Amino acid sequence: MKRLFSRLSASLPRVSRSLRNPPIPNEMPSTKSTKGHEKLNLFSCPFVPFVDPKKTPMKKLLLTLLTTFAVSAFGEIDRTKKPEPAPAPAASFPDYKTEILPNGLKVFIIEDDRKPTVTFRLVIRSGSIFDGAKPGTADFVADLLNRGTAKRDAATFALETDSIGVAIESDAGPDSISVSAAGLTKYTGKILDLFSDAIFHAAFPAEQFAKLQRQTLSALEEEKQQPAKLVAKLTGKVLYGEHPYGAYLTPAAVQALTRDDLVAFHRAHFIANNATLAIVGDVKAAEILAEVQRVFGVWEKGSLPEIKKVLLPPKLQGVTIHLLDRPGSVQSSIVIAQPGPARANPDTPELNVLNATIGGGFSGRLFQNLREKHGWTYGAYSAFGMQKYGGVFQASAETRNEVTAPAIVETLKEIARLSDEPVPEPEIALQRQYNVGNYLLSLESSARTAQRVQDIDLYGLPADFYKTYARRMSETTPAQVQALAKKHLSTTDLAIIVVGEAKDVQPALEKIGKVIVYDQDLQPVAK
Amino acid sequence: MTAKFLAALTVFVAASLLPAGAKDDPASPPRVVLKPIKFVEYDLPNGLHVILHQNHAAPVVATYVLYHVGSKDERPDRTGFAHFFEHLMFEGTANIPRGQIDKYVSGAGGNLNASTSFDQTDYFFNLPANQLQLALWIESERMMHAQIDETGVETQRKVVKEEKRRSYDNRPYGSLFEELAKLVFKGTPYAWVPIGSAQYIDQATIAEFRDFWKTYYLPNNATLAIAGDFDLETTKKLVAEYFGPIPRGPEVVRPVFELPPQTAPAKHDVLKDNTPLPATLHAWRAPKETDPDAYPLELLGSILSSGRSSRLYKRLVEKEQAAMQVEAFPFLLEKAGMLGVEAVGHQGVTLDQLDALITDEVERVKAEGVTEEEYRKALNQQEAKFASSFGTMTTRAKNLARYHLFYGDANLINTELDRYLSVKREDLQRVAKKYLTKEGVNILRFPVPAAPAAPAAK
Repeated sequence: MKRLFSRLSASLPRVSRSLRNPPIPNEMPSTKSTKGHEKLNLFSCPFVPFVDPKKTPMKKLLLTLLTTFAVSAFGEIDRTKKPEPAPAPAASFPDYKTEILPNGLKVFIIEDDRKPTVTFRLVIRSGSIFDGAKPGTADFVADLLNRGTAKRDAATFALETDSIGVAIESDAGPDSISVSAAGLTKYTGKILDLFSDAIFHAAFPAEQFAKLQRQTLSALEEEKQQPAKLVAKLTGKVLYGEHPYGAYLTPAAVQALTRDDLVAFHRAHFIANNATLAIVGDVKAAEILAEVQRVFGVWEKGSLPEIKKVLLPPKLQGVTIHLLDRPGSVQSSIVIAQPGPARANPDTPELNVLNATIGGGFSGRLFQNLREKHGWTYGAYSAFGMQKYGGVFQASAETRNEVTAPAIVETLKEIARLSDEPVPEPEIALQRQYNVGNYLLSLESSARTAQRVQDIDLYGLPADFYKTYARRMSETTPAQVQALAKKHLSTTDLAIIVVGEAKDVQPALEKIGKVIVYDQDLQPVAK
Repeated sequence: MTAKFLAALTVFVAASLLPAGAKDDPASPPRVVLKPIKFVEYDLPNGLHVILHQNHAAPVVATYVLYHVGSKDERPDRTGFAHFFEHLMFEGTANIPRGQIDKYVSGAGGNLNASTSFDQTDYFFNLPANQLQLALWIESERMMHAQIDETGVETQRKVVKEEKRRSYDNRPYGSLFEELAKLVFKGTPYAWVPIGSAQYIDQATIAEFRDFWKTYYLPNNATLAIAGDFDLETTKKLVAEYFGPIPRGPEVVRPVFELPPQTAPAKHDVLKDNTPLPATLHAWRAPKETDPDAYPLELLGSILSSGRSSRLYKRLVEKEQAAMQVEAFPFLLEKAGMLGVEAVGHQGVTLDQLDALITDEVERVKAEGVTEEEYRKALNQQEAKFASSFGTMTTRAKNLARYHLFYGDANLINTELDRYLSVKREDLQRVAKKYLTKEGVNILRFPVPAAPAAPAAK
């Protein structure tokens, strides 16, 4: 299967064992779950897929020797027993080059010659948290960056990028906006020209702005029928209240936006000293740096934007069930959520082990309990979504209507069990190794490495964060996990968000806690 | 900055704006040079095909087992069987207790998954390089003696029903592909989709599942590909030790069918309460994936809808502002294929408007062909796409196996791009005329239900 339509992808003629690979345990910054608006661009190529594994001298020789040794030690295989592995390879963080230009732009270069491609990824350290009174501003800025510049109108820009098979895409998150361009190295000069043109000279043409408004209004209409969208928006609303992390687009907000809002946002935030640029691909660091200095050296610096007041999400009190009624639902989409630590918290490696234990993958307790034991769901997972100024912990599953309440009860039990009892040694050993090994696997992708390097900058992490990351996960103890569960996972103050058929599921939910019913516009329904 | 570079840049800009008709531009950069992906391949005496790609770039290894069985091998009264069986393959084996496969792989620091489609069922592991033997053990165990018991079957019956609800029944347009396959592939085993119908899974007996395993999960019906950081000779030896003892089975009998050209158009409206925006899909029968016409059809698809400078996007989204999105998608399988065009309209746009616009663009490409600029652009897009594929060990293992099984040539991972680049501009008009016929169109529409007279009080 080669290409598939994305919006209608529900009906893809391929079915997998599970929805996704087990999420690679990590520090994935935040889930866009608090955002309502999905990018309309069907052809968007996110940063990650284009780039690739890097050649790193990762204990190659040692490993080959070990593998050989291990095998010869076995000689004849014994298939009645699980084979014992040779010692695990070390998960060492790849090398990269850092350069700060005189205008303040921080540049990271990762050489990776596996494919004849190059990817540029710019991160602006401002996102929707700066939207202020105009929700949607950062989103619209990102969406319109590649739709016309001072030099090229939208059609010309599209033709020039398409003509060399390059995708220039931008995406706004709560704390940042990323802009990426990926293509063949033989077009490096042209890619840089188009990429920098979009970043410096985006023109936000009025007719493109109007079209995007219309497309967004249609997308919002469509999202009223998408359970995954609805549950994410309601979770943001319930957890964050008025805080920008919980903001989602509404038709009124879309209509209130003006082109001037976008121009002002772009002028204030797209400045050299508010950005990092990562370059990954089959490039020579010195050569590409010279190119980047030439193109980006002229970018002006400015005064860094400041958030006037950092609002903190309100604390939850008690257990409340927020039930969004979507008539005709044959499944309930369930999220159990509470505030969690911010990205720069001191415990991320240990929190990964905690999260993997409860719901990080196929061996997590939620998956084992809700799916493998009860057959109530196709998948059940949990995640810490960490932002710059706060975060969430959430456990989620989709279950048929009649087991909605029991699935919630079991999930709450699993959350409580982490605080109540230490994780048994074999289980924690498994989860430690799951985290460390999958982190090692993720190092195959230079794009991921680039993102991590940019995350260190964006979130203000310690410079050696990834140098100690694997070791700390591998040393996490049951006592640490239990202590972190007690600190972060409340079973008395949390929100349960359900999107489903209210008439079928509400009576059983009433027995768990107070139920507030919402309509598909996320407004509470008067009884 | 050098003057030479600037000059080159100017030429690039000029080249991309060349008017139609400009040909063989000497300034066009030479075609991309791909790094060859080297591999060895051989058969075990029992028929298992093995492909090994050694790569020491990172200490990781990917294994991929591809069974040549998919939903098209199912009986019409047992649809969904192949996919259901895929779930059962995680239950256990003679030497692996039920439920342990997930835990062994997680505990080894790896991850796993599997999938089922019309023609194939595949299983993959990604592991740190020191754990290759674990993957070989598990995969050979389930090929040798998977265990299928009532407990596992019961649980997975429920799980698969949730999967179907989640991915198909509980979301707008969820039945799209099921309806589409029914129309386009009518009368063939492609007329049902891999998820199948739940009631058939309920009717199937344990004996049938065991029989399915004995029929299809055979070394002579499988390809094993391994990519990553391993020692070649040691791995060959391990593969022989783990998989060698599995007995060869009888030759697999495959369904024989043909999809004749369609002689009359078909149209079907899907009425669902949860359709938020009008959507329409036009689909035509197309050749199988190994047909030479597959390449011009792929390029035609990209001229129609790849990027904001594509025909359908410019017309439906930009100019007429009728559609929120539009996409052309070639969907080519082992024995037959289709080319589809779908559009999701803005609120208030009628399906007839969308249909007329699609028809107009399709007729235009048939009548006029494509411009030189469009043709070049499609080749360049394909070149960039191909060159950026196959980076990770898992994509390499997977594509080596697929190219071997369905094309009989694993080396296409290095050379298939040539097939795209040798397509002639006039081939695009030729395939458009040949396949996108007026009598061969299937139109599937999702109208938005009329608003209820008064909202029901809750």
